[in-house]
Amino acid sequence: MSGTPKADSRPLSPHLQVWRFHATMLASITHRITGVGLYFGTLLITAWLVALASGPDAYAVVEMVAFSIPGQLILFLWAVAILYHFANGIRHLVWDGPGLGFSPKVASQISIFNYAFAIVGAVALMAAAVLS
Amino acid sequence: MVQLTLPQNSKVQKGKTWPKPQGAKNLREFRIYRYSPEEKGNPRWDTYWVDMDKAGTMILDVLFYIKNTIDPTLAFRRSCREGVCGSCAMNIAGRNTIACTKGFDELPGGVISISPLPHLPVIRDLIPDLTNFYAQHAYVQPFLKTDSPTPEKEWRQSEEDRAQLDGLYECILCASCSTSCPSYWWNGDKYLGPAALLQAYRWLIDSRDEATGERLDDLEDPFKLYRCHTIMNCAQVCPKGLNPAQAIAKIKHMMVERVS
Repeated sequence: MSGTPKADSRPLSPHLQVWRFHATMLASITHRITGVGLYFGTLLITAWLVALASGPDAYAVVEMVAFSIPGQLILFLWAVAILYHFANGIRHLVWDGPGLGFSPKVASQISIFNYAFAIVGAVALMAAAVLS
Repeated sequence: MVQLTLPQNSKVQKGKTWPKPQGAKNLREFRIYRYSPEEKGNPRWDTYWVDMDKAGTMILDVLFYIKNTIDPTLAFRRSCREGVCGSCAMNIAGRNTIACTKGFDELPGGVISISPLPHLPVIRDLIPDLTNFYAQHAYVQPFLKTDSPTPEKEWRQSEEDRAQLDGLYECILCASCSTSCPSYWWNGDKYLGPAALLQAYRWLIDSRDEATGERLDDLEDPFKLYRCHTIMNCAQVCPKGLNPAQAIAKIKHMMVERVS
């Protein structure tokens, strides 16, 4: 900051250590984390497509992994990540385009809504998959 | 750079617990950040018990109560005690605000921690070094710039144009917003931060100012403006109820409109 670390022996004041998170702050970091997660999710789609092209034996392996408990958990988290990133992405478009939703109260409410949308949506998706 | 933890010399250690005031009925526990350059060692959290019946109504009153009756060595900045000077900005219960307008009734329950504005070099106790913050304010040239000859009386402005400045000119430069911003924490040397950008926008949309293009040029850079990721902490904490995040979004709009 104002001094170089060598010349500056003064302590740095606490930041994340003391901060009480806002809904919008959590929403922002979640957007980034889910975005990174989706990169890895794309690898899973690729694995699925490669297996599909390789024939029944390879596909059986993917199916086994996908229907295992860890596989189901990953699919659930992946669904949460996609839905959250989608909803919050629309919010970013609204911020950047029409420039709406900047009041702290509204922004906090939308953050909470996006979380709820992602979790409820992922549960509904999984339930639909199990029932079908 | 992102560094989630504090450097070794900045880790806050357990400090001293000061004696409780005698005969108090309504006691409240405060944990206050203490650092002195004369004493060797890391900063520490000192615990104070405050008689809330005698301390007044605002957090600044609590600090004065401690300084006057418990520990005269506690250092903090203050001046106007009514929310117009911005001197007493600090982190109170995990959020930045000015101590003089933060009432007891607005506090969350439990122990209240008070520390300097986040992610700045600490000079002493609750006093951070704001040199960089002021330099960034100077960088946006917060004054009227014109080419036209100066009018005989004042630079005139319509009521509508004047109304454009509402929600911008009220900024008291307390630095609560900039030091609440994680982007500013990690890139405070390159990103101008919400306070300076709010002021930049205040001059960009001033109908009397004639340096709009030049001002936009000065912000056209991957870091100075575009490190804003709408985390919104600035608008959440502003003690004057201003919205730097929105001002930054409007500058981004001006950048796009200028290109197209």
